[in-house]
Amino acid sequence: MVSILFVDDEPTSTVALRLLLEAKGFQCECLTDMSSALEFLRQHEVAALVSDIMMPSGNSFPEIDSSETGFHFVAMVRREFPHLGVVCLSVIGDQSKINSLKRQGVLYLRKGETPLNTAARIIESKATGITRYGG
Amino acid sequence: MDEIDALKNEVARLKAELEETRKQSTQYLQNVAHQLTAPLGAIKWSIEALKDERVPIHRKKTLLSSVYSQATILVHLIKNFSLMSSLEADHELGQFREQPEPVDPMLLSINLVNDFQPQAYDQGIRIDVDNESFLKVFGTNALLIEKNLVSQAICNVLENAVKYGDRDSRIHLIACSTADAIGILIESTGIPIADVDRERLFERSFRGESARQKVAAGTGFGLYLASRVLAFHQGHIEVQTKGRVSRFTLMFPRKRLSGRKSHG
Repeated sequence: MVSILFVDDEPTSTVALRLLLEAKGFQCECLTDMSSALEFLRQHEVAALVSDIMMPSGNSFPEIDSSETGFHFVAMVRREFPHLGVVCLSVIGDQSKINSLKRQGVLYLRKGETPLNTAARIIESKATGITRYGG
Repeated sequence: MDEIDALKNEVARLKAELEETRKQSTQYLQNVAHQLTAPLGAIKWSIEALKDERVPIHRKKTLLSSVYSQATILVHLIKNFSLMSSLEADHELGQFREQPEPVDPMLLSINLVNDFQPQAYDQGIRIDVDNESFLKVFGTNALLIEKNLVSQAICNVLENAVKYGDRDSRIHLIACSTADAIGILIESTGIPIADVDRERLFERSFRGESARQKVAAGTGFGLYLASRVLAFHQGHIEVQTKGRVSRFTLMFPRKRLSGRKSHG
């Protein structure tokens, strides 16, 4: 089963998205901080990563400010797992930082603002490499 | 000349102060927007998933529970923002406060706990009210309090206990008393509070390092408002910690005991 890793310190904010992706046949894991997510990625086969921006960095990176963890996390993932599809999911909207994510080839979606079905389809295409329209 | 220089310095100081206030105000508004948007976004997505036929019916219960939890968070956030702005407008809340009324503390605790049960359930946390302790401490007496304000104070402590609580832990609400005060103790097991943070827990906008490491976003208003509410009642709030166990005690002076009970 294709696996998608969610990293979000408030898992209830993505429960709807995860349930929809699970209904489409994906296996969704949800972790709550950067350190445990990196560890998970090193030990498991993951097809796509969906990460929050504002979240705890965890035990391994105490120096990172929680308001910017996602940016550091994505940069690290990009270096260590260059082929992994990454989607950032957040409510914060600093445009300059969003642009920097885009330059790294990372998609940025706003929680609750992007329609659920669209968000699920984008993540699905990141995980499978196939883009579908409709449904 | 000295006088002109002094005036120039004063103008520069006031300008810097104004700039700092503007910056704080912008940060505050951004924080408010972030805090309100997050639960609303989660509710919106949950409703979309509830409408989606591909999501199995047995999983929709999880979504309904999520909607309820997020709505509860939203209501408490709005109440806190409202109380905060009232405080900024009128330090003593003179024109915003209601008259104290006799309230049954046990019923009040049970009602507030019920509000948080779905949120707690999602994390495997159980909240219980020690009825016997309430009967022992309060007997047939009520507390003469401003009910909405005290409810908000208890909710703020309860919400933290759930938010920062360990999975599969328990939260207890117990009535307690000393020679000159009576109140409610909220005991929970979760993130440890460092000594250096404990001293500052009731400061406006303060969030401890361990809290930020567990949940990144937050206002830091909850305990500050709780302490203000208790101060309005000539009471106080205090915290004791031992390892991962935290005990927040909301104490009221005994003179607030009233002879008759009303609804909680």
